[in-house]
Amino acid sequence: MEIKTFTIKCLAPLLVSAMLISACKKDTASNVVNLPVVEAYLMAGKQLQVKLYGQKALTDTAKYGSPLKGLQLSVSDGSKTVQLTESPAGTYIYTDTTFLTAGKTYILQFNYLNTAVSATTVMPGKPINFATQHSGITIPTSTTNSTIDTLDVLSWQNPDSLNHVLVFNNLDGTSFGINGFGFNRSASFELNTNRASKYFVTRQPFSYYGHYQVVLLRVNQEYINLLTSNSSNSTSQTLKSQPTNVTNGLGIFTAMQADTVNLLVQ
Amino acid sequence: MKRLLLLFMITGFAQVSFAQQTQKILEKTNVNHFYTCSLDQLLDTVSMTYHLNIVFERDSVSKFDIAEHFFNETLKFVLNKVCADNKLHYWVESDGTIYILQNTDDLGRLKTLNQLKHTSLGQVKPMVEEPRAPPMNFKFSITGKVVDQNSGEPLPSATVKIRGSNLSTTSGTDGNFILFDIPADTCVVQVFYSGYQPDYVRLDASKIKKPVVLEMFKALNTLNEVTITGKKSGVMNTDTKKVGVLELNPTSLDKLPNVGEKDILRAFQLMPGVSATNESSSGAYVRGGTPDQNLVVFDGFTVYQVDHLYGFFSAFNSNAVKDVQMYKGGFSALYGGRLSSVTEINGRDGNKNEANYGVDLSLLSLNAFAEFPVNDKSNLVLAIRRSYQGPFYDKIFNQFNTSTVRSGGGPGGPGGPGGPEQTTPASHFYDADVRYSYHLDKNDLVTWSLYNGEDKTDNSRALQIPSFLSSSVGNINITDYTKYGNLGSSVKWFRKWDKNIYSNTYLTYSSYFNDRNRSTSGTADDSNGDPQSFENGTVENNNLHDVGIKSEWNWVFSNRLKLLFGGFATRQNTSYQYIQNDTSKLIDQHNTAFSGGGYAELEIDPDSKLHLQPGLRTTWYGPTGKPYAEPRFSASYVLDDHFTFKAATGQFYQFINQVTREDILNGNRNFWVLSNNSSIPVGKATHFMGGVSYENDQFLIDVEGYYKILSGLTQYTISQAGFAPGNTATSITQDFYNGSGRAEGIEVLLQKKLGNYTGWISYTLGNAQNKFAVYGNSYYPADQDIRHEFKSINMYHYDRWNFSAVWIFSTGHPYTAPLSTYTINTPDGNVASAFTGSGKNAERLPDYHRLDLSATYDLIKINGNKTGSIGLSLFNVYNHTNTWYKEYQLQGYQAITTDVSYLGFTPNITISLRWK
Repeated sequence: MEIKTFTIKCLAPLLVSAMLISACKKDTASNVVNLPVVEAYLMAGKQLQVKLYGQKALTDTAKYGSPLKGLQLSVSDGSKTVQLTESPAGTYIYTDTTFLTAGKTYILQFNYLNTAVSATTVMPGKPINFATQHSGITIPTSTTNSTIDTLDVLSWQNPDSLNHVLVFNNLDGTSFGINGFGFNRSASFELNTNRASKYFVTRQPFSYYGHYQVVLLRVNQEYINLLTSNSSNSTSQTLKSQPTNVTNGLGIFTAMQADTVNLLVQ
Repeated sequence: MKRLLLLFMITGFAQVSFAQQTQKILEKTNVNHFYTCSLDQLLDTVSMTYHLNIVFERDSVSKFDIAEHFFNETLKFVLNKVCADNKLHYWVESDGTIYILQNTDDLGRLKTLNQLKHTSLGQVKPMVEEPRAPPMNFKFSITGKVVDQNSGEPLPSATVKIRGSNLSTTSGTDGNFILFDIPADTCVVQVFYSGYQPDYVRLDASKIKKPVVLEMFKALNTLNEVTITGKKSGVMNTDTKKVGVLELNPTSLDKLPNVGEKDILRAFQLMPGVSATNESSSGAYVRGGTPDQNLVVFDGFTVYQVDHLYGFFSAFNSNAVKDVQMYKGGFSALYGGRLSSVTEINGRDGNKNEANYGVDLSLLSLNAFAEFPVNDKSNLVLAIRRSYQGPFYDKIFNQFNTSTVRSGGGPGGPGGPGGPEQTTPASHFYDADVRYSYHLDKNDLVTWSLYNGEDKTDNSRALQIPSFLSSSVGNINITDYTKYGNLGSSVKWFRKWDKNIYSNTYLTYSSYFNDRNRSTSGTADDSNGDPQSFENGTVENNNLHDVGIKSEWNWVFSNRLKLLFGGFATRQNTSYQYIQNDTSKLIDQHNTAFSGGGYAELEIDPDSKLHLQPGLRTTWYGPTGKPYAEPRFSASYVLDDHFTFKAATGQFYQFINQVTREDILNGNRNFWVLSNNSSIPVGKATHFMGGVSYENDQFLIDVEGYYKILSGLTQYTISQAGFAPGNTATSITQDFYNGSGRAEGIEVLLQKKLGNYTGWISYTLGNAQNKFAVYGNSYYPADQDIRHEFKSINMYHYDRWNFSAVWIFSTGHPYTAPLSTYTINTPDGNVASAFTGSGKNAERLPDYHRLDLSATYDLIKINGNKTGSIGLSLFNVYNHTNTWYKEYQLQGYQAITTDVSYLGFTPNITISLRWK
């Protein structure tokens, strides 16, 4: 007896769950595809700019999705709400450079396809005492042993272990490759400092000689989440959505502050 | 036309015995006779005197005259002698009939005609000695041992019964058994064991005083074996009295289609509840569980790497294995530490009587074994297997490892000038088993068992230096190897303390390693023109060491009550390192866990119908500092000769997990991590299982259902930071995701046990779901979830031919599909492109199905012993493209989807030879 009732109990959830799975599939799929893509990096003392894109079909070879035009975007800093103007298409700006200041919480809101889209970020403080030990480094033609020498030390104050990233921006582009490995790489690159207050520069990350602008960005966690989720290659076993801090949308709405030093790599 | 006039002679006594009785008569009867007659007359005399059924062609045999005096020779010797002298052969068929042949092809004809005669003579009955005296002893107990007559190896899990009573027991792992309350000393003891012919022994007043040794004869052809209701025969068996138990005896494995090797774990995949569609893993996906939730124990030690060649072949050499039990859930308190199932493998004890050697050769590997008595107290088994890189190996290798071949160069990736050369990596696997048994005395046996296996792929090479660089760059060597494997060993001390108490105490060691090294080293001239050496690359190492001691006790109080109890202590140590450019250890973890505990379980049989098995297992796990209690219970009820009901439940904990580091370009890496108090919780499962089986002489129908609740599951991911393509300055983020799961299903098995055609049909309706917060708040189909799985296993035996056909159909695995892509700019001037995915595992891959065929021709020595076989097997005969997974890449902002498939049509030939 016990076994018979068990069998029925066992069947029921099976059938129900099978039905549920097939029932909800379509719903979520169409929703996800229609979500707007937000791109906004708020820098204190700069004008506020939000770009909105649509998503692309898988076979679409265009770089970006089509710009989403004609929407009413507003950003609030807690006390004041401003309307953004569209210029050019799909790019929404607010030109008053005093609007973005450290410590304030900014909330983006707009409606897209009758759905309220929103995102929130906090403007961090400016990086403190960002400095480089040397103004230039020389990449050794070959290393003498298996340990890699530290060529320079970049440092900043970070008593609260805040998130910082370093952007190495090569002003000379891809003109002077260091070795044969450079061909596929971009001239600029970005490093997560993992909440440290120092970065030891080695020859390792450099693929090109040139004049580098080294930008230290104090960033929020939502930016780190994006940075550490490179998913351009994936499989059906591993595919995960890119993290986003946009409610009912994709992409990122984040604030950051920068400081810059120069570094010559030769 | 003369052939039609052949005369056939069947000797008088219709009571023809089974083959082992024939063998016994041949070996144990001594002949003292002077024969001067024709051969047919000799055979007539022999068959009359010794009650043997001898079939021969009278007109050809009568031409030979015999004049021979035998002085106390065995009958076997007599037959050998007269046959050899006249260039004849004899063959003992499984029904005990002796055929006298001029050449081996005569057999079919003689058999047909014997059968025609036979049907008129009625049912054959086994021959049992008549009681010699009236019963003298009543209500006594006997102990004994079930062994192989030929090799003296003990046979575990054999059924021992007192004929005409309900008294029955099963032999333990060392072949020992005990039976209480035997009505009288004239009773007959029956013993049944898979792959062997049933044996019957009449007790008498003297036999019951010492242990009864039941010597069983190998079935000459298992598939044609006479089967008796409720007894095991054939390649795979279910234990109808227990829920979720499968048993396998590797001697008959060559009857099933195989790809390259007789494969123990693959054979289990043909049974219900064990998924058969994971070509990239020999590990067992049991009832919605994953392979790391299946405990694999080999001679007492845990095995952490169960397969070779990207999972295509299991790591266990069937020549070194005596038997395998798989518990699909709700298992005994004897086992613990896994959430889903247990596979227990016992190594072969080896031939105690004489040396034997054998070799198997296939397109994949060479497999050799030797077994021999070292002295009268000890014996040794050696088995070694090594693959060789023929086209067959390469085909499988390339199927599962497209990337290693593709990644020719440095970190620049394919297409860059760093990787112009294409090389074929050198790759092989090997494994070795050693087992040494030493009988200290009558009651003590010490066994040392060693297993070592390794897979190695080496793509290391010297880089071709372009001429414009050769002045400044010396030589550059690329090291690129992957190797993984196991070393395990145990020392077991079996002691029989009293006739109803015995213990097995083990010292165990097991290790696992999984290493990859991709680095470049060489010399180059520095600015002064001096040569300097350099080295950089990526090194990944995972190591696991497991040292343990355990003692398992078995105390039989009566036929109705048995106590199992024991204790265990282990120390496990894992490490995982991910080193880049020799300096930066991106991941460097070392963990050690001590755990210990004990278990106790009662086996209660209040009457002959009901069986109850309550148990409790408790483990104290060091890293969490907590005890984990695992109550277990199983029961069965035999309704009548045909129906048995069974059920089991229990709680299970798991303290070590195998996680996968996804690596699309270079292949996924598996490694083991220990549970801790933070990111990796202790896994927990609760099982509810029940079933009913129906069995008659011809068929077995077994239906089982299960429901499992799981928590504390762990998934692992490593992601590389950065937006720029080809960024070398990688930093790595590792995340452990935690979640829960549930699994439910129904399994149906219909097995035809008897006749020239045997086989089974298996159907599983299953549902396995997981809930991980990272994928949302609802349950989604687990990666291993399969809704329907249908398997049809067909075997046909004709003379020395065995044909088999296996067809497998299953619903596709779930997967996550990309729906669209999007791109945003990043502050560093690069772009980040991403997929938007469907719900986690919301889509299904196409249905999986394939047909495998095989034909095996037995090479039989003329005395009826099998000495080998030649087999041809065809895998995936109609070359169906079964999708393994889909790969998504963004190329030029366009998403490219590539289907990665499993193996297509693949033929293989296997030759197997035995010295004896």
